[in-house]
Amino acid sequence: MLELKNLTVHYGHKRVVHDVSLTLAPGQMLGLAGESGSGKSTVAMSVLRLLPKTARVEGEVLLDGEDVRTMSWGRLRAVRWASASIVFQGAMHSLNPVRRVGEQIAEPMRLHSTPGSVAELLEQVELPREKARAYPHELSGGQKQRVMIAMALACGPRLVIADEPTTALDVVVQAQVLAVLTRLVAEQDLGLLMISHDLSVLAQTCEDLAVMQGGELVERGRTHEVIANPRHPHTAALTAAFPVIGAPQHRWTEPAPAPQPLLRVRDLVVDYGRTRAVDGVDLTIGRGEIVALVGQSGSGKTTLARTIMGLRKPSSGRVIFDGAEVAAKGRALKAFRRQVQLVLQDPSSALNPRHRVFDAVAEGLRVHGVDGDHEALVTAAVERAELRPASLYLDALPHELSGGQQQRVVIAGALVLQPRLLVADEPVASLDASVRGEVVALLLRLRAELGLASLLITHDLGLAWQIADRVAVMHQGKIVEQGPVEQVLLTPSHDYTRALLRAVPQV
Amino acid sequence: MSVFSRLGERRAGFLAHRAGVAGAVVLAVAALVSLLAPLFVPADALDVTRVTADAWQPPGAGHWLGTDHTGRSVALLMVQGTGTSLFVGLTAAVLSVGIGTLVGVVSGHFGGLLAGALLRVTDFFLVLPALVLAIALSTVLPRGLGTIILAIGLTSWPSTARMVRAQTLTIEARPFVERARALGGGHAHVIGRHVLPSVVPLVLVNATLAVASAIVAESTLAFLGLGDPTRISWGAMLHQAQLHGAVPQRAWWFLLPPGLAIVVVVLAFTLVGRALEAVVTPKR
Amino acid sequence: MRLAGRIGGAALSLLMVAVLGFFLFRVVPGDPVVSMTRGRPTTEALQAELRAQFGLDRPLHEQFWSYFTSLLQGDLGTSFTFRRPVSEVILERLGPTVLLVGTATLIAVLLGLWLGVRAAWRRDSAFDRVTTGVSLTLWAVPTFWLGMLLMMVTGDLFPSRGMRDTDTPPDFLSQALDVGHHLVLPSVTLVAVVCAEYALVMRSSLLEEMHAPYLTTARAKGLRDDLVRRRHAVPNAVLPAITLVFLRFGLVVAGAITTETVFSWPGLGLLFYDALTGPDYFLLQGLLVVTAGAVVVMNLLADVLHGVLDPRVKVV
Repeated sequence: MLELKNLTVHYGHKRVVHDVSLTLAPGQMLGLAGESGSGKSTVAMSVLRLLPKTARVEGEVLLDGEDVRTMSWGRLRAVRWASASIVFQGAMHSLNPVRRVGEQIAEPMRLHSTPGSVAELLEQVELPREKARAYPHELSGGQKQRVMIAMALACGPRLVIADEPTTALDVVVQAQVLAVLTRLVAEQDLGLLMISHDLSVLAQTCEDLAVMQGGELVERGRTHEVIANPRHPHTAALTAAFPVIGAPQHRWTEPAPAPQPLLRVRDLVVDYGRTRAVDGVDLTIGRGEIVALVGQSGSGKTTLARTIMGLRKPSSGRVIFDGAEVAAKGRALKAFRRQVQLVLQDPSSALNPRHRVFDAVAEGLRVHGVDGDHEALVTAAVERAELRPASLYLDALPHELSGGQQQRVVIAGALVLQPRLLVADEPVASLDASVRGEVVALLLRLRAELGLASLLITHDLGLAWQIADRVAVMHQGKIVEQGPVEQVLLTPSHDYTRALLRAVPQV
Repeated sequence: MSVFSRLGERRAGFLAHRAGVAGAVVLAVAALVSLLAPLFVPADALDVTRVTADAWQPPGAGHWLGTDHTGRSVALLMVQGTGTSLFVGLTAAVLSVGIGTLVGVVSGHFGGLLAGALLRVTDFFLVLPALVLAIALSTVLPRGLGTIILAIGLTSWPSTARMVRAQTLTIEARPFVERARALGGGHAHVIGRHVLPSVVPLVLVNATLAVASAIVAESTLAFLGLGDPTRISWGAMLHQAQLHGAVPQRAWWFLLPPGLAIVVVVLAFTLVGRALEAVVTPKR
Repeated sequence: MRLAGRIGGAALSLLMVAVLGFFLFRVVPGDPVVSMTRGRPTTEALQAELRAQFGLDRPLHEQFWSYFTSLLQGDLGTSFTFRRPVSEVILERLGPTVLLVGTATLIAVLLGLWLGVRAAWRRDSAFDRVTTGVSLTLWAVPTFWLGMLLMMVTGDLFPSRGMRDTDTPPDFLSQALDVGHHLVLPSVTLVAVVCAEYALVMRSSLLEEMHAPYLTTARAKGLRDDLVRRRHAVPNAVLPAITLVFLRFGLVVAGAITTETVFSWPGLGLLFYDALTGPDYFLLQGLLVVTAGAVVVMNLLADVLHGVLDPRVKVV
């Protein structure tokens, strides 16, 4: 039904897709995996000839035997959406913000004169029919993505291309949306080309898998075979990045004997206006211990971390660090902050784009007026974060570094102050899968060498399984369950923990 | 070192904008003319009581841009007026952009009542017609160059304040500012190391565009007779032209040069500003 | 809730306008009576009498209170030059200004938005370059100079002074034609300058919108390019542009002052000129309060309109 033959795409002199050949039969679900910049979205866009005019496309894109590249405009418009449709990534921006979603679903039906009703389509994606009158901003992320799916099915296409359909969605919502998508594709016997950076999502949905790297197709085969026996090193790196909960080879750490407490949180309450973001939390982190705080977005875990760092004022409760209560302001708070350092999710935005690596790492030294040889201290911290030799990096601007290197710079900026606790907010969530493992290993090594404790905030239960000693599960501002990793993740006692575990896609 | 290499890149970026370069050349010429004006213009050539030429002479051998209603040379008036227009435009722009930057950074960085009040005042002055306020101010204050500068500077800052505030808020929402706070950085650190460096390029662009509108505003105030009566400016020349009937006299030589000069200089500032803007704002 | 908040905000702005009008003319350095009588023969006694007449000898808070209470009743004081209530004088001149500003704004908005849309859609085309170049140049042109230039170039083709001739027959059609004839030059002047601004605003607004992902969605659905533009891009880009157009209503007001002065159009702008050459402080203060108040009200309307047109903004 869809056949790509030697597809090559250039932007100017830059080759983004090179010699990709793929086939997709009706009823087949094919996953296309790859990291950002691997060219996977370009492949998707070329199927409906949606690339910008500056793109030069070579090879053949056969849709039902007809080459999309050489179609007349009129024929192309007739084929678009009627033969193949796309579920775009980021439904937030892919829906027109000022028109009702019902109109937007109906628009291609009118255009291609296909019979059918918006209400039925909405029912198929399990949305109430009244939602047709809603505007995109009135819907949640998962609902918007369902609207996108309903829209893609509006003209009864035989091929659906889903480009990162669940990125930016919560695990639980992601599982729901994937269920709707796969059910409809199976019921209507459609071909599905699903594109994602997340191998586990593809593994759960598609029976066939193709892996792209740097514009080239490096591996292709049945999903379970590819994952069980990756032939290409890149595929192997990708599979390793998605730890299987319960698998001993993915557990990289030994639980330590109960250490002395370093940070204690007692009955902490934080209110945002009238909503209670953190509701009576008790949490202890021992010296050199890695504690994972897991939960969905909106569960209050980020607020809790900010409050521990003294970036937000608690409504009530206490935070005790090293036996003393943390001050609310002044010099004592500043001294506390020297001991507790923050590592943020997206390293590209956690570094000031105008500051060179040296300035970014030395910022803490300047803020605290640390005496001594800044250059030597910065060099030591940068090398600790495994950017060696440091001299290669000190003069670089953030945009000249890769995501993994940027995150190491952020970590070096924390290490330079010789902290005792690292608060890491989704430290690997925005990194490409292949570098994720390296950064995780770095965190573990720092604990072993420096005795650095970490509070790891994440939605990713696999990451918790990989490196944490203990897990605390947060739901609606409360910690519903906490204990050693094995106990919480393998024999969960709370319903919510079980629901979270069920939603994790299994490789 | 790093700053200079980046300046180098920016200079190269600017040179790529031909219109901007043309604007910069025009401005350089205008600046030169205003600085050298005392050399061109003999001390008593513009004294109404001492001129010998006839009034309303069309351009010719003796006066190559003709004469005005009192017999003064239009060419010499033009040269003399360059300095006033540029000076008022530049100082008023500096005043306005200075106030705007201060208000913008303060209302963007500090929350609470102060920011709320400043925002309210900014929005209020933003919608009011600046020229009407400037007219009112220069009517009640004693006539003079200082009044004009004050009237323009005090009424045109809100748009800068708005823009600087927006940029400040954008920067403050970035994780690297949160990281700086978590490191223990206070207000001075965040403003000095993160907010100001990112605001300055925008402010420079804004200042260039502000000079352009300040020059138009100066000419308008002078045209309405609110200028400094002791100084010659392009706007003041047009005021005289209107007052003494240059249009019915068909004295195009007294009407065209000052207006064209304003248009060319203002356009030059605008083009330079737009070129700077293109260099400063990152491409998507 | 939001609507009430906006109305409250506008009310506060109007109050600030009133306060501004009062203090601008009283707290600034220099005695208003001295500058009012500048260049006229005067004596100490005459000045004292003027002070008493305007209430300038009373304490500031008393002056403000009486100013404010009369303002609420529509009393803006007495004009020094016209020897009549300021409100009466202003009302008399309102019609011609509304006619001029209304005509010019309507033409400028339609023309400017159309030019901006075409220029942005065919970015870097000859049409775009010419439109942008002409708009930038017109933006640099002082309104009054353009008016004088037009007057000189057109010669006797169009009347250049006032609003109607004295010898026009009194029937409605001839009167309307005469006014229309007089209206040509002033409105062309005003349109040229204001429309340039609108075209630039519309162009950049649409350029912003052109990269939005939902336009790719629309194209993928099989919509023709002009439908993508008409149904999706333009309606979204017009919303912020319209708001900006209203926000910059002050620009039109400023343009009207100089245009009316150049063409002796008997409206509020010319009255402004008369007031500042006097100087007639009470008239000026009245004009300031009325124009600023009008701008505040226009903004409120723009806000409400935006709320009605844009579903992302919640009204009520």
